[in-house]
Order: sequence, then C-alpha cells, then structure tokens
Amino acid sequence: MRIEAEVLWFEQHVLSLPELADISGLPSPVLEELLECGAIAPIEGNDLRFGAAALRAARTARRLQADFELDAQALAVALGLLDRVAELEAQLRELRARQPQRVR
Amino acid sequence: MKYKDYYASLGLERGASDGDIKKAYRRLARKYHPDVSKEAGAEEKFKEVAEAYQTLKDPEKRAAYDQLGSHPAGEEFQPPPTWQQQYSDAPFSADELDLSDLFAHLRGAAGNRGARMAMPGHDYEIAVAITVEEAYRGTQIDLNLDMPEYDQRGQLRRVPHAVKARIPKGATDGQRLRLPGKGGKGLHGGRDGDLYLNISLRAHALYRATGHDLYLDLPLAPWEAVLGTAVEVPTPGGAVRLKVPPGTQAGRHLRLPQRGLPKPKGGQGDLFAIVQIVVPSVVAEPERELYRKLADGSSFDPRTHFVEEAGHAH
Repeated sequence: MRIEAEVLWFEQHVLSLPELADISGLPSPVLEELLECGAIAPIEGNDLRFGAAALRAARTARRLQADFELDAQALAVALGLLDRVAELEAQLRELRARQPQRVR
Repeated sequence: MKYKDYYASLGLERGASDGDIKKAYRRLARKYHPDVSKEAGAEEKFKEVAEAYQTLKDPEKRAAYDQLGSHPAGEEFQPPPTWQQQYSDAPFSADELDLSDLFAHLRGAAGNRGARMAMPGHDYEIAVAITVEEAYRGTQIDLNLDMPEYDQRGQLRRVPHAVKARIPKGATDGQRLRLPGKGGKGLHGGRDGDLYLNISLRAHALYRATGHDLYLDLPLAPWEAVLGTAVEVPTPGGAVRLKVPPGTQAGRHLRLPQRGLPKPKGGQGDLFAIVQIVVPSVVAEPERELYRKLADGSSFDPRTHFVEEAGHAH
C-alpha cells in the first residue's frame, strides 16, 4: 500500500486551543495551567491562536508528563530549561558554522 | 513472536517489588529519555525501558506477563492458548505481533476498561537525516512502518505501512514536519495518530548550516587577498562568481545573498564565504626568490599594535 502523504511544516500550523489539545494529546487542564504560567504561549498579538512553538512545547510536555509523571509546575520548569538548552545549542551551531574549519 | 525480558530491561530480578520497579524506571528514564539525554542510542534504550515499565507497573499486566513464563530474551515463543483466552480481548496471530502489542490490548487492563471507548491512534516520531542538496531541492523519502491494527475479523496483527513522504524544500536542521493521520489507526471512532518527522542535516564536506544560512570556507592565496580577484564559489544551486575586493583580510565573511537554503514560507537564506589566507607548504626556488624580494621591499608590519599595547601595560 502506497500513501502519498500530506506534509505540513510545523511553521504552517495555526491552531485553536482545542486543536492544540487534540494534536498534542495534552489534557486540557494541564494545557490551561501551562498557558496560565506562560510556559506555552499563543501567537503574538493573538490570544486564541497557537503556532509552531506552542505545538512543539505541548508535544514535549505530553511526552514528559507521560514518561516522568510530572505535574504542570514541573512541566513548566522543564519546558523553560529545555527551551534554554535549545537556544544555546542553536547558538553553538551558529558559532561552529562561522568558525573556519579548513586549516592547512 | 520474540520474547522480551522486561525485568532484565529494568535491571531487576523477577520478584522485584512495585517500589523497585518504579525506582528502576525513574532512574533509567532520567538517563535515557530522548528529551533529556544526549547519550548515543538513548532513544532505543528508552523505548525498551518504557515498554517494560508499561507492563510491569500494572499489576494485571504484570501477572499476565509472569504467566508467559521465563524464556531467554529474543527467543521465538507462542503464548499458550489458555493465556490467550484468559487475557486477550481479541484473537491474535502471535507470528505477526510484537510482545508489546499483547499488553497494549490486554483484556480489562487499565486504559482498556470500557473497551468501546474511543482511543486516538498512536503518534509516531521518526528522525530523518537529509543532505544539504536534498534540503535545497526538496526530496522524497520512503518510510516503512509496522503498526498494530485490527483486521476485519477483529484479529490483532502488525500491518506494514509504506509511506512515501515528500519533504518540500525549506527543511533545515531541527525542523519538524507533521503528516496528519499517518500514524496508528484510532480505535472505536478515535482519530488516527500523526506521523512526525524530525529533520536533521547530514554533515557536508563544504557547507555548514545554521538555520537557513550556509557557511563555506574560502581559501585565498596571499596575493589574491592583497590584489583582489574573482573566484568561482560552489553553492547548492550551482557555482557563482564572487568578487573578492583588494585588501581582504582572513576571517572576513563575504556574503552571497539568497544563496543559502530556501525557507518554508518563501525567501532564501544567505551563503557566507569565510576568507582564509593559505600559503603553499612547499615553495620552489624561483618563487621563493619573489617572496624574498617582497620581504625586502615591503614596509608592512602586521604587529604594530604589539608595541603600542605592550607600552600601555606599563
């Protein structure tokens, strides 16, 4: 069976809150707590729409919740730290890319 | 199907207490969870640990698992027919299943209570490594996934799914794609799961990517850097001519706008050529003579600041 699949970039997603809950699999009360404390944020300038960053965070939260049995507070802290790690890794990648490699 | 030793996966003996099982899982999850761990092979290891824990943490599933007896890990075995009658909520063909499928669909087990409840299908995450050229042009990948499914007769079996996924141009390291509904089948009206592709770029001999920008080392001979020149520079879209201005210093970034990777929403990153000044390691006599003449005739001192800065220090 061959399936030519529809492919979506994370960046293309603009989701409502129920869609975000549904796609991430994160229970609504947990999602709401994460929104309240700012660990997951809507698209800037639009309180009801969520983009790639929110989808990524919600999916990570779902995994961490299932695998570590974390509550919303712990999830918020973990998401914040993972964000910082990702940011630092991106900076490191950029610095490495800018560093000449071929020295003869 | 192949037997798996769930106790060994958690580093435990068969008679381990519930508390020991939880402790062992927590320790191993912290070590190998793919969101937290950078260890090589962590993801595979975590899957094994999580599968073992899913079964052993639930008293009913654990009892059913213990009933299978003890076999060497990896050995082919068949659950006895009585086991099937007692525990399974659907007939299955053991040849076509993974051991984890049995426990995921166990009769009366936690999560399966109220067997007609709508259950969304499983989401799958797959790491896909592509080359810079593939990211530039877009590419197509073939995925082969084995997913547990119920057939028309209600029998549980593993069904191979071949998914052809088009990766549009615009991918770069760390980007994700979602293929809605291409994950596991939903049960009793639940929605089908999604397939997620996590893109990474393979290391390239010439280009280094960060976001959609590319960096490339541009070696120049000393006289090229002094006098200026025009050189052919490779880019993923084909070679382009780059003007190197006179007096170009080593380490300078020469920007080739819109020659990097395309972006998903349109537009394109830049390509930066990083200047390196390279000298020949072996110089034959006539050429060496030219360098000597240059040395004698040049008033250039690259270290004037040594004297100045050292003077300030006192």
